[in-house]
Amino acid sequence: MATTDNREDYLINILRLSGDGDGVVRTSELSDLMGVSPASVSEMVKTLSEEGLVDYVRYKGATLTERGRELAMKIRRKHHIAERFLTDVMDMDMEDAHQEACRFEHHMSDESADKLCRMIGPKIDDDCAYCTDPCHDAGAMIGDTPLSELEKGGCGRISYLKCEDAEKIKKLISMGFVPGRDVSMVSAVSGNGPRIVKVGDSAIALDKELSSLIYIESAN
Amino acid sequence: MKISIIGQPNVGKSSLFTRLTGVGVITSNYPGTTVEFEESAITRGGTRITFRDLPGTYSITGNSDDELVVTKDILSRDADAFLLVVDSTNPEPSLVLAMETLELGVPAIIALNKIDVGNKLFDIDHDALSETLGVPVVPVSAKTGEGIDALADAIVAGSAAVSGHRIRYDSHIEEYLLGLEATLGRTEFSARGIAVKTLEASKPFSGLAPSETVSLAEAYSRIFEESHGESIDVHIARDRFGDAHIVASKAFAKTTRQRTLSEKISDLTTDVMTGIPILIGVLALTFLTFVAVGTFLDELIADAYDAYVGTAIIDYGQANFGTFGAAVFEGIDTSIVTLLGLVVPYIMVFYILLGILEDTGYLPRAVVLLDNAMHRMGLHGGAFIPMLMGLGCNVPAIMGVRTIKSRREKIILSTIIAMAVPCSAQLAIIIGITGRYAGLGMSFAIFAILLALAVVAGAVMDRVMRFEPTNLALELPPLSMPMPRNVLLKMWYRVKDFFVIAAPLLVVGSIAIELLLSYGLLDKLIDPMSFLTVGILGLPAATIVAFIVGIIRKEMAAGMLITLAAAQGLTLATFMTPDQFAVFGLVMAIYIPCLATIAAMWREIGWKETLAVSTLSIIVAIAAGAAMNLALGLF
Repeated sequence: MATTDNREDYLINILRLSGDGDGVVRTSELSDLMGVSPASVSEMVKTLSEEGLVDYVRYKGATLTERGRELAMKIRRKHHIAERFLTDVMDMDMEDAHQEACRFEHHMSDESADKLCRMIGPKIDDDCAYCTDPCHDAGAMIGDTPLSELEKGGCGRISYLKCEDAEKIKKLISMGFVPGRDVSMVSAVSGNGPRIVKVGDSAIALDKELSSLIYIESAN
Repeated sequence: MKISIIGQPNVGKSSLFTRLTGVGVITSNYPGTTVEFEESAITRGGTRITFRDLPGTYSITGNSDDELVVTKDILSRDADAFLLVVDSTNPEPSLVLAMETLELGVPAIIALNKIDVGNKLFDIDHDALSETLGVPVVPVSAKTGEGIDALADAIVAGSAAVSGHRIRYDSHIEEYLLGLEATLGRTEFSARGIAVKTLEASKPFSGLAPSETVSLAEAYSRIFEESHGESIDVHIARDRFGDAHIVASKAFAKTTRQRTLSEKISDLTTDVMTGIPILIGVLALTFLTFVAVGTFLDELIADAYDAYVGTAIIDYGQANFGTFGAAVFEGIDTSIVTLLGLVVPYIMVFYILLGILEDTGYLPRAVVLLDNAMHRMGLHGGAFIPMLMGLGCNVPAIMGVRTIKSRREKIILSTIIAMAVPCSAQLAIIIGITGRYAGLGMSFAIFAILLALAVVAGAVMDRVMRFEPTNLALELPPLSMPMPRNVLLKMWYRVKDFFVIAAPLLVVGSIAIELLLSYGLLDKLIDPMSFLTVGILGLPAATIVAFIVGIIRKEMAAGMLITLAAAQGLTLATFMTPDQFAVFGLVMAIYIPCLATIAAMWREIGWKETLAVSTLSIIVAIAAGAAMNLALGLF
């Protein structure tokens, strides 16, 4: 695992030095920042290049590929989530939390990152634009399905509601579709037809649009 | 003493109002029945109590019409206390509304309704609930009458109290509330309650708060949303539900039980595979029962009238008075025949069947199953209920259009109701006149044509008019056995309106028409219009009088036909051929809605559209009648 951690550290640092991914990062810059020899850097950059995560330009340095950039951002997001969890919930001081988060970031699953996000809802005060709001698109990640997609007989817990129109959210909330409550799918009249769902002990029919605004953590 | 009743849809609010006051409110198992509120007073133990039945709402935070009626009532401080209705069979959601109201610091009593069923589902400790919330809790059943006296006594005794219960919110929200309360001056409501409503950005209530409180609340909500990634009103609702869950779990212990038969049937009605056949079965059975019972009673009454009264009234008038007096008596006779042949067999039977359908809780299921089909006609499932009501009378059906938000749907639905949904008077003509003299097969043919007309009109308007999305969100109440008492009472309230409003008009109108006829004034219309009646529709020229009269009220057209036949010395049976009866029934069913319906449409969709629909209905009626005349001539 150590090699994986190491790999991911390189990716994050390239991301950081390149100002979020566009510029070319010199081998010397990396070796300075990470306190390792330029030779080790060159070797690792070559490996990463073979994996298609960076483009290696001889004598100049390295840039992140699209895939590499995505991976780096994902890891950095986990770093900030972990850091925030450690400071806000565990009451750890910032320096220790940072060190700890450097280890957490490599081992945290996407799912637990999302769950932590929902628990703390952090706003990260950091230098990078992307991580000011690491939980921004937590909703779109795995684990949450729109209620409309639930199979007949399926059940889950309401995670959040998402819609531009506040009136629609108000209406759903007032009918009992509140985050944290259990819902189950009784039946769907047809593919695009209304859904009959149970929330608590009430049976309610919702059209497909309204039911797709309710995201649930599915239990199955 | 004034008491306002607040509760969610389907908790039995209106039934409770009826039980408490003895005054009829149409209670139905779907939301939106009480658009405005009903008020009624009783005297108990020397105290006069005025009850006000507010529309059922899910919350008092939003801006829907129903919610605004309720918030306005709360804000007016007109009520001395509030009666909060909680459904003991499904306590959590209705407790949320009750607790939302209690939070405002208004004196209240909780009625724990449907206790007869609730006691089977839970071990209910209503004292524990009362202790937690700090207001009296009285278990009642509006259905069986259990606990109603105790409730009325508690109200008279002035035992309504202000709740001391605090809903526990997220710690950040609690801090915000303290901050907001500090900026609030004195209000007639609890500062905490107003602070919560201001945080929720609930307009009617935040209006009570000074502007600095409102802007502070806005700042708080922004901070909250940024740091929690969830909007504050969603979070408040979440906490409120959480608290209601805790409160409910203290007072309601779930008993282990088998799924009831009604739950098993309910599953069948909502599953598509079984639901659609059941829907078709229910509608077909209802319709056939209506036709069978209606025609049976119609003939029974007609025979009885012939046997016991016959022409006695007319003879009396002719023997004792001149032209004028005789015409008056003939008018009276016509209106009695029309009322007997219409109200008892068709209107009463229809409203009994409608009441049964409503009270079983089946209708919302039909709405859901029909949603897709209705989309093809540019409508949504909810349009089914006004259409069904339209079979009784088009006027309340058109008024029901008000609950639909989309203007496009309002127009489509009004057009379909006015043209293709026969009201009970038109049903009486189609079944009682066309059916009797041209065979019931012809009645069914007319119904089939009307159904096709509805589908075509809807589909065409759907294509022509710009699409506006609408949403369907409807609670499905549990299925239950209708109580004959409630069904009969509802039928009576609905028919009573007919007697009070329509019957006098019918008598006056019939007398006026008889007078015009006896002085030969209507005859002037007959010849000039014969190109239409005789030429295009193949009917006797005199039927134009029935069509004209039918614009005022459709019932009068039915009576008119008898009078017109009698004027020519004929019985109804010999006045027209079976084919002519068929054409007459079809044209009558489609052309121009009656004046009351036109007035209702004018209010709901505007005069231009009303004029367009009325004109269209004449053209379609003549075209359909002419086509039927030609088709029948071929065979």
